[in-house]
Amino acid sequence: MDPALVAFLMRIISRTFNTKLLTGILLIQCALCHFVVGQVESANWHSVFHGLILADGDEETFVKDLEVFGDPGISDLYEAWRTGDVYSFEQDREKIALRQMSSSSWIKISTGEAIELSSSDLESMSKLRASRGVRRMMKSLIDTLGLKAEDPIVRQESAMKLGLSQNSEFLPALRSRLEIETNKNVQTSIHEALAISLLANGSPEEILQSVETLGDLKSVPGRDFVQKLYDTEIESDRSESALSQASINTISKIEAYIGRVEFIGNFFRGLSLGSVLLIVSFGLAITFGLMGIINMAHGEFVAIGGYTTYLVQTWFISIWGIDSYAFGWYFVISLPISFAVAAVIGLGLEKSVIRFLYRRPLESLLCTWGLSMIMQQGFRLIFGAANVQVNNPAWLLGNLSVGGFNMSYTRLFIMAIAVVVVILTWLLLRKTNLGLHIRAVMQNRDMASSLGIPVNKVNSMTFALGCGLAAVGGSVLSQIGNVGPSMGQAYIVDCFMVVVIGSVGNLLGAGISAMGIGSIDQFLQPSLGPVMGKITVFFLIIIFLQWRPGGLFPTRSRSLED
Amino acid sequence: MEAWRIVSYSFKKPRRLTGINWMYLSDNKKEIGLFLMIGVLLMLIPGMNAWGPDSGVFAVSSFQVSLWGKYLTYAVLAMSLNLLWGYTGLLCLCQSLFFALGGYMMGMHLMLMIGERGAYQNVLPDFMVFLGYTELPTHWVPFYSFWFSSVAVLCVPGLVALVFGFLAFRSRIKGVYFSILTQALTYAACLLFFRNDFTFGGNNGFTDFKDVLGLDLNLASTQRILFILSVLLLLLAYVITSGLLATKFGKIQQAIRDSENRVSFSGYSTTSFKLIIFTLSAMIAGAAGALYVPQVGIINPSEMTPAKSLDVVVWVAVGGRGTKWGPVIGAIVVNLLKSFATRAYPDSWFIILGMLFVIVVLFLPDGIVGLYHKIRSKFPQKASLKAITA
Repeated sequence: MDPALVAFLMRIISRTFNTKLLTGILLIQCALCHFVVGQVESANWHSVFHGLILADGDEETFVKDLEVFGDPGISDLYEAWRTGDVYSFEQDREKIALRQMSSSSWIKISTGEAIELSSSDLESMSKLRASRGVRRMMKSLIDTLGLKAEDPIVRQESAMKLGLSQNSEFLPALRSRLEIETNKNVQTSIHEALAISLLANGSPEEILQSVETLGDLKSVPGRDFVQKLYDTEIESDRSESALSQASINTISKIEAYIGRVEFIGNFFRGLSLGSVLLIVSFGLAITFGLMGIINMAHGEFVAIGGYTTYLVQTWFISIWGIDSYAFGWYFVISLPISFAVAAVIGLGLEKSVIRFLYRRPLESLLCTWGLSMIMQQGFRLIFGAANVQVNNPAWLLGNLSVGGFNMSYTRLFIMAIAVVVVILTWLLLRKTNLGLHIRAVMQNRDMASSLGIPVNKVNSMTFALGCGLAAVGGSVLSQIGNVGPSMGQAYIVDCFMVVVIGSVGNLLGAGISAMGIGSIDQFLQPSLGPVMGKITVFFLIIIFLQWRPGGLFPTRSRSLED
Repeated sequence: MEAWRIVSYSFKKPRRLTGINWMYLSDNKKEIGLFLMIGVLLMLIPGMNAWGPDSGVFAVSSFQVSLWGKYLTYAVLAMSLNLLWGYTGLLCLCQSLFFALGGYMMGMHLMLMIGERGAYQNVLPDFMVFLGYTELPTHWVPFYSFWFSSVAVLCVPGLVALVFGFLAFRSRIKGVYFSILTQALTYAACLLFFRNDFTFGGNNGFTDFKDVLGLDLNLASTQRILFILSVLLLLLAYVITSGLLATKFGKIQQAIRDSENRVSFSGYSTTSFKLIIFTLSAMIAGAAGALYVPQVGIINPSEMTPAKSLDVVVWVAVGGRGTKWGPVIGAIVVNLLKSFATRAYPDSWFIILGMLFVIVVLFLPDGIVGLYHKIRSKFPQKASLKAITA
């Protein structure tokens, strides 16, 4: 197929997909961020600047004109002008200004175009420098340039920077920007910046009001400033004053907010770790619970997923190049490919080795451990012992900010995949013939066989399914972790725990326990550190099993298992 | 009282058994002969090292003495696992943890014996100086005593097994679940020992030992003594396991392996039996670890990874689980193969080991000993004892 056509199709797919993703995650705010608001067309700051450089006496008007623009190029050009990279030159009897980019390349400032110069031209040029008056006028313009930037995030950052400097010079610029700003997030940031700045520069009423505003805005950077204010109040024995009361109030508000954000953060990280555990342990729950096979090589199927993703990535780079639009989609393509590759390998293993091991769980554990060693060494021989580099596609970079907490797109995407995997597995087990057969074999192998269910075929398919799910987990892991020969080993112990806690063979249980273990792990980590957190989780599991030996949802049965 | 009744089983011989029953060692004259023969054969190694020729086929270097000493401690480790897996049906994946714990207990004593001869010339072990300790942590102090350390070598792994086993067996965790949980226990412990602030040397563990009980560890004579101790430990472990098997306790133990439910329906507390076996096995593994450390000269957390535990399982499986000598044969054969293969085919060693797992599980469920019995039953006249010891 024609690469151009493919790229075109992908663009269409991506467009529809992107919108769905965004609305699906319910973030209208995010959509707003992409919307460029209230910008005066940035087309011609070049010519205004050009006028300013060549101006003679009327610099003030040009500076005023320039104030509407927010292009970062302005500060760049100003810097060049200040340091002496700008020259005047007469062309066709008209004076124009040029900027020297390197020793032999020049551009016209009025248009930004490159210009060819002869050696005689060079002699007729004279260096231009910003005069002291212009420099004074330009200073605040350059400092507040970021306030007018096109990107709302840059505007927010710039506003905060101006506010945190607590410099009274910037107050007018912030106030005037507030009047024309339409983006809500930026408005909030400017309010916050103004309030912080006013803490140092305002009248007593303004200070009191700012303290209250900061409390209402739950400003994390403002906390230290308010704290400082409060400390001086206490030092000067005015602990009963309205200001110190308001400060205490504000500080407690902000601290409550920080606590909440941390809680949400832990919760979010727990959910995303849980999602990875979920995808990987679903495969394990299927082979372990439904078939009675302890697949110690499950971790290596995870690695197969990671390596397949790596190969798909290499393949995309070789065809479309790393900067192409199509490259961004390699990850989505690699998910089903990983599944297929691992499923085929799993099928092969089932036919050659695993099928001798049904009903011998301990032997299956040893045998698959052997397979796992062989596969790990195989990876080392093929791909090398070092980790391979898997890049994040561009659209997965970046964060989604909700109420002060950043959630990375990668982790959100992983959660989405986990949801999809759960739904698809549920559909497969509940709504298809194969699923019916799998459940029948799981409940009673002999009875299912005598009713004409092709038990051997069902076994093969189930094992392949489990391996495929592991590989999807590996593919997902490649986006947040390393891809290496022993990447699966780090998760396999956790996944076995998930399966044991969630009751063997119970997918709902596996889901709940994956999320539970993931969250507990993340909640313990900040206070205990990763290692002690893991160990504590392990002991919690042992204690949990004292209370519920059969896991969360034990199978009720009158038969005696031996 | 219940516990005492169970322990008393280990001194009662079942009525069925007749014949020679010297120390309940065995009901088989041939086996006593074999037992003594192996002991004597193994004693030959230090003997050859001390008085044998310096070169030629019969020369035994000091390196080989400590190498074979290491194999013997591995063999004891394999035996302790066999007691659990082969005779009680508990596939324990934390045997290397007990082994390493025993090693760490002995290592602590050896570290303290270095005294001021370390790199920092400090009374504290080097790694503590390096990590900024100013005084010895309290739990290290008793390890100045060799006898305390020797007791700890047995008791610490035993205690860990007792507590973990109590929790696990009480909630009726058995079969594969037991394996998975023991694997997780090893994993957790391994993570813990990798930490620097756990006062056990972190990643690097203990090394650079100087002497034990005044004997310089670098001397060949000390290595010979350690080797002889390893042989004695092996024989002792053999006496304990096979002696136990010949008693009523051993019969119940094997009955648990074959059908735990029937045993418990017959009125026996399977939990207590399993707990005692588990603890005993951990203590034997700990003792093996304590002899391993001075012979190898280093102990670190990589000794207790889950992978090491599975290595022990493969030794037992290759040798033949549920057989008396199988684990010993398996441990020595696999380790000889390993030292050969890691030199000749360094890239393929893991593939070879993996294939061993698969082949043994699929085709040789009773390992080398099982293979020998199978062959002997086909050619009864050609049977000889040498095949076992080979």
